[in-house]
Amino acid sequence: MSYLEYTVKTVPTGLRKVLYINWALVVLLTAIASVGILMLYSVSGGRMEVWAEPQMERFALGLMAMFTVAFVPIWFWRNMAGLAFAVSLVLLLAVEFVGTVGMGAQRWIDLGFMRLQPSELTKITLVMILAAYYDWLDIKKTSRPLWVLIPVVLTLIPVALVLRQPDLGTALLLLFGGGVMMFLAGVHILYFIVVVALGVGLVAAVFMSRDTPWQLLKDYQFRRIDTFLDPSSDPLGAGYHISQAKIALGSGGWSGRGFMQGTQSRLNFLPEKHTDFIFTTLAEEFGFVGAASLLALYVALIVFTIVTALSNRDRFSSLLTLGIAATLFFYFSINTAMVMGLAPVVGVPLPLVSYGGSAMLVLMLAYGLVQSAHIHRARGRT
Amino acid sequence: MIRTPLRPLARILLARQRGENPDAIERENLRLRHEAMRDRARVRAESRLLLLGVFFFLAFSAIGTRMGVMAASEPQEPRVASSGADIVAQRADIVDRNGRILATNLVTHSLYAQPHQMVDPKRAADRLVELFPDLNHETLVRQFTDPERRFVWVKRRLSPEQVQAVHDIGDPGLLFGPREMRLYPNGRLAAHILGGASFGREGVHSAEIIGVAGIERAYEDYLRDPANAGDPLYTSIDLTVQAAAREVLEGGMRLMNAKGATSILLDVHTGEVVSMVSLPDFDPNTRPQPLTAGDASDSPLFNRAVQGVYELGSTFKIFAAAQAIDEGLVGPATRIDTKGPMTWGRYRIRDFRNYGPELSVTDIMVKSSNIGTARLAMMIGGKRQQEFLRRLGFLDPLSVELTEAPGARPLLPRQWSDISTMTISYGHGLSASPLHLAAGYATMVNGGTLVRPTLLRQDKPQQGERVIKETTSAAIRDMLRQVVTRGTASFGDVPGYAVGGKTGTADKARPQGGYYKDRVIATFASVFPAHDPRYVLILTLDEPQETSGPEPRRTAGWTAVPVAAEMIRRTAPLLGLRPVIEPRAEDALTLVRN
Repeated sequence: MSYLEYTVKTVPTGLRKVLYINWALVVLLTAIASVGILMLYSVSGGRMEVWAEPQMERFALGLMAMFTVAFVPIWFWRNMAGLAFAVSLVLLLAVEFVGTVGMGAQRWIDLGFMRLQPSELTKITLVMILAAYYDWLDIKKTSRPLWVLIPVVLTLIPVALVLRQPDLGTALLLLFGGGVMMFLAGVHILYFIVVVALGVGLVAAVFMSRDTPWQLLKDYQFRRIDTFLDPSSDPLGAGYHISQAKIALGSGGWSGRGFMQGTQSRLNFLPEKHTDFIFTTLAEEFGFVGAASLLALYVALIVFTIVTALSNRDRFSSLLTLGIAATLFFYFSINTAMVMGLAPVVGVPLPLVSYGGSAMLVLMLAYGLVQSAHIHRARGRT
Repeated sequence: MIRTPLRPLARILLARQRGENPDAIERENLRLRHEAMRDRARVRAESRLLLLGVFFFLAFSAIGTRMGVMAASEPQEPRVASSGADIVAQRADIVDRNGRILATNLVTHSLYAQPHQMVDPKRAADRLVELFPDLNHETLVRQFTDPERRFVWVKRRLSPEQVQAVHDIGDPGLLFGPREMRLYPNGRLAAHILGGASFGREGVHSAEIIGVAGIERAYEDYLRDPANAGDPLYTSIDLTVQAAAREVLEGGMRLMNAKGATSILLDVHTGEVVSMVSLPDFDPNTRPQPLTAGDASDSPLFNRAVQGVYELGSTFKIFAAAQAIDEGLVGPATRIDTKGPMTWGRYRIRDFRNYGPELSVTDIMVKSSNIGTARLAMMIGGKRQQEFLRRLGFLDPLSVELTEAPGARPLLPRQWSDISTMTISYGHGLSASPLHLAAGYATMVNGGTLVRPTLLRQDKPQQGERVIKETTSAAIRDMLRQVVTRGTASFGDVPGYAVGGKTGTADKARPQGGYYKDRVIATFASVFPAHDPRYVLILTLDEPQETSGPEPRRTAGWTAVPVAAEMIRRTAPLLGLRPVIEPRAEDALTLVRN
């Protein structure tokens, strides 16, 4: 069941597809990635070869991947959803056994030419399989317990695997992504109320478990929560990230110190300055104006993505597109909230801007799917 | 919810009556139904989207607002000196009974590096190794050039000269933090009592000092309690006496070729340990590592006075005599059969020499007859002997204020048989620490009340429970005095201080069972002045060998006793005792005749 049936006849074919690409999205993606490359150039102290150049190469690779995915009809991707999800689960399991340990967590598989982070891939495949599931499912059954249980299990399997690595940030993103998909598919609101209530209870339980033998989070995770609640309590220890980031943001002021003039990031005060905390460099060098502009770019990207979802009458396509928009939104908002001290430091990169191959590539693939859905959408009257 | 019925029966029947095909009605019905459902789904989806949109909008607004707030705020620097600021470094001094410092704190500097601020890591490493040859050059270079490292400890403690030298290297990545360290100005003098301290949690600007052994560890909470800041911990030690005792003991140990020695000077009324020395010792400022292999008692860290549990030999005989007299079984003059060798089952008990068919109880002590003591023990019986020793504290670990004390558990026979009763009465088969023995002797001679040894200064005598009668205590004092005037401890007499005491020479037990023939623990348990004892001095030599004669002599009378006598000669004046010339027995006799 879908909003409307396909009318395959009016779908463009061959090279004509290029004309039907949603070019606004491509421009926005490129703009955001350019900001990222600019910032990487700045934090490496004006050198291209450290981070900016590899990032450019990756973006180019990502663009190519996006167009390739875009030209393949969306129904092919719908049929591939199950397989893609299975593959990403296998990769997640493989990380358990052959993964490379970095930064205290086991997250990568070394493929030789690049280090793949299967948890990143899972963010997209989870959205795909849930969209395909709700496309396939009779709409009347959406809220029946058994049919609600299946997507819940589909979400929780990768969440559990990612938590084991351990990577709290990605696990949260997966959880939110799955939840949003179910929410948009129309699962009865009571389920969500119950889950939120349970979640609040769990958070309470986690805090009650602190300092008991069966405490549910690692000490460093508790400390991050502590420093989130009171970052000034330990400015040179666990709260170091946050306070330095705040200094950077504060010293940026309204118009910033100017390109390549940021002291916090240039002088190595900021940890992870090229990955999770790159936003602070931007805020320091370009001030509120720069940060707000990046925010505006993201808002535009998300709004445009949602608009294409709304114009799409295919249930799989629109659910998939909305899911990707939501994932992007969570990426961005969790990262910025974390950097600005609105959320605990969980280790989520700033999409398209942070230095990192897997996240960039996966996001571009996701936008390939969005483009594919856009190109192959149903047109005309039924 | 009212649904359009799937098969509107009435209308279908009507259509049939008219001869129309009812399928059209049914299809129409189905279509309507699907449309209604789709509309509902769309409305729901739209409301869901709207909700999500509102949520997105709110989140973006929150982030935007926060950005504005932060951009508008003044950049705030983090508080300086935060790392370790919460670490309370203060630790109270430890002083002797007269307030002289035994342990105090000294502000020094620690040296750490922040590699990412270094100008020339390689040069800095080169210069550091020149200054501190114990640093490893390769390790330093590796740590300084590792891009992941933001912090490297280089040295925990620097002297002011070293600080200046490092400062002169002139690398901005080498930084100093103030740090208090524990200082023991008297070095080895009271090493085993103090124990030692090391750093606990370490921050750049402060570090925790925690006690690792001895009284530093046992009084950790008191010493670190900010509530009694400035109040030092007063110990019972007298620094002057301790110094004299250590000097005499070290010389005596060398003279007697012993491999270890310990002495304890205990106030018989208050239970205060005025001096306690164990040799070999160590410097608590640079506390050595514990031995990883071999016998722990060979380590200089080993406190022989408290941790060493030995069979203390004939010094134990006095307890059998005291109990026998106290229970009225014998008097000091009662004659006991000492025909040797004495056989009991398959065991034989011998004396060092044959002392004839019988001896008085006093003479059994004076001559140190095993057989006589064993007979006394049999008169008392195993059960009552065990009870008596328990009351004296010989069966339990000491409660003295050292962390090591609870671990030093006396070794008892598995079964307290008759033969155990007899051997224990002359100091074999039960191992206890010299400090146990000191407490036991203090109880014997102070009038008969129990004494618990303590390392803290006391204001008044202990009012312990009564163990033996005052008259018994007086008799024991007399016996101990006679052991020195005409018995085995004749070298122990110190003119003016009326030393009394009992020797003990115990064969050392082999680790694999049985006893060594040529290795002994020689002990002299002395009290002075004997007519009104103030102090007990226990002096134990581990494997002594006195070689001035044709044959090596190992008995306590030849080894431990002369050393103890020298120690009393040196320390008694320091303790404030006036030499008293005893009324001689002949004068008394003369007076009676008059």
